[in-house]
Amino acid sequence: MKGPAAILLAGGVGSRLNILVRHRAKPAVPFGGIYRIIDFTLSNIGNSEMTSVAVLTQYKPLSLMDHIGDGSSWDLSGRSRSVKIFPPKTGEEDWDWYRGTADAVRQNISFVMSAKSDEIMILSGDHVYHMDYRRMVSFHRQKKARVTIATIPVPWEETHQFGTAITDGNSRIVQWEEKSPRARSNLASMGIYVFDRKYLIGLLTESKEDDFGHHIIPRALEENVVYAYPFDGYWRDVGTVQAYWDANMDLLDPSSGIDPGAWRTMTNINAGGPPFDRPPVLVSSGARVERSIVSPGCTVEGHVENCVLSPGVTVERGASVRDSIIMHDCRIGEGARVERSIIDKEVVVGARTTVGIGDPKTINRTHPEHLYSGLTVVGKRVVIPAGISVGTNCIIDPMLGAEAFPREVESGMTVTGK
Amino acid sequence: MPQVLAMILAGGRVGELDVLTFYRPKSVLPYGGLYRVIDFPMSNPMHSDIENVGILSQYRPFELISHIANGEPWDMTGRHRQAVILPPFQGRGSSDWYKGTADAVYQNTDFIRMCDPEIVVVLSGDHIYRMDYRRLIEFHLEKNADLTVAFTKVAPEASSRFGLAFIEDEDPRGGRVTQYREKPRNSNLEWASLTIYVFRTELLITVLEENAANSSHEFGKDIIPMLMEKHRVYGYRHSGYWGYTRTIEEYFRTSMDILGERPRLDIRSWQLRTNMADRSIRDRPPPFIGPSASIEDTFFHCGCTIKGRVARSILFPGVTVEEGAVVEDSILFFDSTVLGGTEIRRAIADTGCVMSERCRIGDAGNDLAVIGMGTVIPEGVSIRGGVTVHPKLKADAFSKKEYSRGEVVQ
Repeated sequence: MKGPAAILLAGGVGSRLNILVRHRAKPAVPFGGIYRIIDFTLSNIGNSEMTSVAVLTQYKPLSLMDHIGDGSSWDLSGRSRSVKIFPPKTGEEDWDWYRGTADAVRQNISFVMSAKSDEIMILSGDHVYHMDYRRMVSFHRQKKARVTIATIPVPWEETHQFGTAITDGNSRIVQWEEKSPRARSNLASMGIYVFDRKYLIGLLTESKEDDFGHHIIPRALEENVVYAYPFDGYWRDVGTVQAYWDANMDLLDPSSGIDPGAWRTMTNINAGGPPFDRPPVLVSSGARVERSIVSPGCTVEGHVENCVLSPGVTVERGASVRDSIIMHDCRIGEGARVERSIIDKEVVVGARTTVGIGDPKTINRTHPEHLYSGLTVVGKRVVIPAGISVGTNCIIDPMLGAEAFPREVESGMTVTGK
Repeated sequence: MPQVLAMILAGGRVGELDVLTFYRPKSVLPYGGLYRVIDFPMSNPMHSDIENVGILSQYRPFELISHIANGEPWDMTGRHRQAVILPPFQGRGSSDWYKGTADAVYQNTDFIRMCDPEIVVVLSGDHIYRMDYRRLIEFHLEKNADLTVAFTKVAPEASSRFGLAFIEDEDPRGGRVTQYREKPRNSNLEWASLTIYVFRTELLITVLEENAANSSHEFGKDIIPMLMEKHRVYGYRHSGYWGYTRTIEEYFRTSMDILGERPRLDIRSWQLRTNMADRSIRDRPPPFIGPSASIEDTFFHCGCTIKGRVARSILFPGVTVEEGAVVEDSILFFDSTVLGGTEIRRAIADTGCVMSERCRIGDAGNDLAVIGMGTVIPEGVSIRGGVTVHPKLKADAFSKKEYSRGEVVQ
């Protein structure tokens, strides 16, 4: 086996992504046209030449399992390479849902025990970044650490969302604060850990504690064996609608630092798609496309500006789509206008309908904490009828048919069909 | 449906395709902004539930072998499915290069017997068309034919390039072939052979064995006339699109058939498959279109970056068109790059070419400019229409600033 065995925690609900996670776990949310969020971590694993991965799932794992397949998209299949998917399983007493990150690993301790590597990496499938894990493992060995945590400086106003580390001059973590409202350091944990395998087994079997950040790390800290691996590249937790939109828009700005091509990000292009290969993009005469990602299988007859289009999207004549993320196989009808919207897969926007246009100061009424910045989110397979208007900060629940819509969906409204 | 084996004749290099087939057989010529020509005769069997395919190849087969891989892109893997490349092999006797289309199949009778099909369909690897072979085989069985050949109507001026037949009107789908001429000089026959042949296995092997003693071994020239004497030869009329790619002009025209408001060939509806692992297409990022780009009536795929002006063109994965560059009425193969200030009109650039700054490639005239694989055209050089540039040339191969019609840079 090459490199450490990896455990990828892919169970996250990601509830702040609202209806984008109604039918899928956060790691399976489409990103950047052809990718899903988990592709960044899986590609880092593949590109770091690691060969053994356990993916722990929990919440709505179907599209994730379909996407991972046999792992061959990330070169993780073969006689000595594998991705194994571990759903939560019945314990001795009752149905043991994972109670936290450490609990999830403990419930799959047999994978850790049988791994043939000296170290174990623990990763999450929630972030967009590029890291060569081999460097982090060399750092870990060089420091003779038992535990190494990848860290990145974050803006001070965000420190309360993270575990933060205070280090000595040798990168050793001397103090740890978990999601502190008044953190004394802005060096945040990226949720990426290297553990000495035997040490990890000891930590998990000696206690019944549930969470790495809250329990396990503070305990290891007492033994002065925890180090902070510094990272300063592009890294985003795309856990909110706004952060998700921002990170997608970063793809359109060459200076942002995100670059899936240069990162050699890989994906499973077949899963969930049609039974043939997506044909080339067709931009027809009379169309206008500027500053956008337009994936294979798209047909553009209208105007697309500042957008990320997933495969199979059709933008009909006279339609205009700006500052938006449009997922697989949507159809934007003739003369429709879409602005600042995130539209999930297989949505139809009727002719002449407007989506995402309204007063951004009217925040969403049912989820003010999710939609407040002038974005509208449309759920999977919705049919928005022709000739209506949908404002901004709106949420349209998945699967709604044309009959669920009033003539005007005012800004800040949530359409549930009930 | 009976057990069917498809044998695809994919090996040839065609002299008229010139620099485009220096390093590849014509069957893997890139086509349609993503595909290879052989993807058509590979996708057709897949859509026709034919799961065993033998591919006969002898000219520079490397690109073909890596494209076909294990047949998995066309679902031809599994316990009873296969796509196998059959190269010529050394026999006990003389040198055994394939001596013709019929000889190529004849030399693989062992393979045919091993697959043990009831029906063998012989296809050619270089035509652009869609056909459900199940309909063709149904017709063949219903008519109790010994050989069924598919035909399409062609304009009389093109007729001397094909095998031509007269088909009796017994059925809208086709009928008995009562006349057949291979590449006649003048003929009023209007049905041209698509070189798609359906045989019962036993008869195929018998005729190939009989033909082996002769000096010429071609299905069109030898096998059809031989069977016309005593057997039931039927013609099946194909009415959909059929494109051929035997000369550079034909290839260009057939390619451009996919563009336009009402394209002659609506290739995006054909549900084609290709090998997305070949040239790492699947690992490339989605296409990026820059803020000052202008694109019309153009095909492009993953890995493309378009920052300049592109019109009526076909860009394969990995093509970059920089800001200030203009590409019109052209075909750029995988990973070619057009730098700023360069204008390309009516040109074909093969895989991995670099057109440096301020070049003029091609012109509005009739003749195409053709650039071979991996060549770097140095800054400021003008390559007019009708010029051919050989593959793998570096800047020092260009001694002049301008090349005009008829010149060959090598």
